[in-house]
This record gives sequence, C-alpha cells and structure tokens, in this order.
Amino acid sequence: MELFDLYRKDHWPHVFCPGCGNGTIMNCFFRAFNDVGWKLENTVFVSGIGCSSRIPLYINSDAIHTTHGRAIAFATGLKLSRPELDVVVFTGDGDLGAIGGNHFINGCRRNVDLDVICINNNIYGMTGGQASITTPHDYMSTTTPQGNKEYPFDLAEIAVAAGANYVARWTTRHVHELTKSMRTSLTKKGFNFVEVVSQCPTNFGRRNKMPDPSALLDWFKESSIRRDKVRAAAIDHVDLNLAGQVTVGEFVSRDRECYHERKGGGSHGDGH
Amino acid sequence: MRPDIDLAYCKGCNICVYMCPKKCFSKGADISERGYFAAVVASPESCFNHGRTEKLICELCILSCPDQAVSWKPEAEEGEDVDKAG
Repeated sequence: MELFDLYRKDHWPHVFCPGCGNGTIMNCFFRAFNDVGWKLENTVFVSGIGCSSRIPLYINSDAIHTTHGRAIAFATGLKLSRPELDVVVFTGDGDLGAIGGNHFINGCRRNVDLDVICINNNIYGMTGGQASITTPHDYMSTTTPQGNKEYPFDLAEIAVAAGANYVARWTTRHVHELTKSMRTSLTKKGFNFVEVVSQCPTNFGRRNKMPDPSALLDWFKESSIRRDKVRAAAIDHVDLNLAGQVTVGEFVSRDRECYHERKGGGSHGDGH
Repeated sequence: MRPDIDLAYCKGCNICVYMCPKKCFSKGADISERGYFAAVVASPESCFNHGRTEKLICELCILSCPDQAVSWKPEAEEGEDVDKAG
C-alpha cells in the first residue's frame, strides 16, 4: 500500500510551512503503521492544540481534536470505554509538556494502552515563536530576545521516571531509526512514548541563524548523542542540557501491565 | 526506479538535497507554478535504486520529504515524460 492512500488527498498540500518536520514524522509513522498491519478503520487519532496537532486532520481516519493539553486525558477515556480501538496521540511539546504536563506524567503512571508521538520543535511555533519549555539554553525566541536563560525539560527522561512502558527519542534527521522505534511502539502494549525533535525553520531557525531546514537538520546531527554512549560514559542528562546536546535512542522498554488489564482485581482491599 | 518530484506538492525546502547521500537532487533555479523554487532530480542514475524494481533501499528522500512530493517512478517512463514536458 502506498503511503498516500492513508492521507486525505483533498486536503493536500498541507498547511505546514516549507521545511516543517511534521510531514517527515507523518511519513515515518505511516510507514510503521503499514508495516505492523494496523487498520485505519480501527484506529482513532487524538490531538490537542498546536502545529503538530493538525496531523490527524490529514489522515483518512476518525480523529478527536481536543482542548489544549488534554489530549492524553481524552485518549485515556476513549481507550477505557472502547478497549477494542487503537488510540494514537499526536501532540506537541507545548501541548504535552507545558499545559498538559500533569496529564502526561499521570498517563505514564497509569500505563493506559496508548501510543503517544510528541513532536518537539523547541518553540511555540503556531503562536509566533515564544520560548517553550523545551527551548535550549541561550537560544533566541520572541520572548527571549537576549537568549533563553532557562534550561529545557527532558520529556523522555520524565516519561522514564514516571513509568512509561516504552520511551524513545529521535530527531527528524534519523528517519530510519525513528520508523523502527515507531514500529516497536505500535507493537507494544501500554503507554508508549516516542519524542521526535523536529525542525521549525519559520520560528525557531529564523531567529537562531538557521533559516534553512537543512541547517537545522545539520544541527540535529551534530548535537545528538546516542543514549547508550551517554549511559556508558555516566553523563548526567542535565549536563547535556547545559551543553545544548540532546540524547537520542531507545530509553526504556518495559513490560508493565496495562491499566485496562488490571482493573477489577484488588487483593489489598479484600480483608476489609 | 528513480525518484520523482511532484511540483504540485513541492514547497522548495531542499531537504531532499540535504538528505540524499548520492546527491541525486539539486536546488531548483526556476519558480514552479505554485511559486516555489522546487528541487529538481539532477542525476537519477546515481541513486542507490537505479536499476532496481523491488526491495528498494535507502529511501531517505521519500521518508524525509515533509510534503510527500517525492515518489518512485519506473525508469522506463523517463523518456516519455521528457517528450511530454517538451
């Protein structure tokens, strides 16, 4: 099956800026989607608000476009009421990490069977380039004209600590590795989190002397370090944040029990 | 197979030019109908998949094109297309 059969051709070309990484991530996701044999009729795409949350509008499937930051909360409700459906959440860094940070942490903790794709473009792209929680230190944005004084959130490390079943992070420069991780995340049960560091040439690159998408991809290539090398060298990820580096790779692959598999039981309450 | 760029979708971001390890693509000099400097397939014969029809490898251009403009095309049609364009 061609990738284009899954998209809504009547809505093409899409609204994303030239060079935006969202289209790359769609390609990688649907390559993996085809490989694992999922069906669009049985899949629901949930998204919040943001550039990356427009992706479900271009897919030939049912979708929920929810309120800002609440994509995981809506997806949890959908999955628990209709467990036979496959639920995929497309969300951005501002949607998932900033306004919906608590939903994200508790979603990881509950381990509901969801696949969450977080597209981290280092900035609030849709609203005009304000500094987000993932803007690297010393990088420019509309609200930080003298460089960002803060240090970025490490969403993948938060997901590991909060108990997600599968966590991986890649950039849009690593398309084959990203496709492989998405394939693994679709085949695994439980809360699977794939973070993709993506380029935003219009709002992030333009203010940081990288207006060309290829300059941003080159920056990803230079600044990314494999997770296994970081672990072997015993480097703290906060030190990497200070240095403007990003860890890529598969962070964790657990086999925790899903939420809908264990509801009911309750051996601790039996004696009362 | 050879890579082919659909001018109706290409927005001229030149990611294919950057990603291709064999430098099949080059930056376009002419403005397309939609007003972008669309990339062109300069040397399709240097592609990894030149002469292959199945089990295609690499595919970095297909996967990384954000606008789904790059697709595979059989090489036999190449001559016909040149005639149409002329």
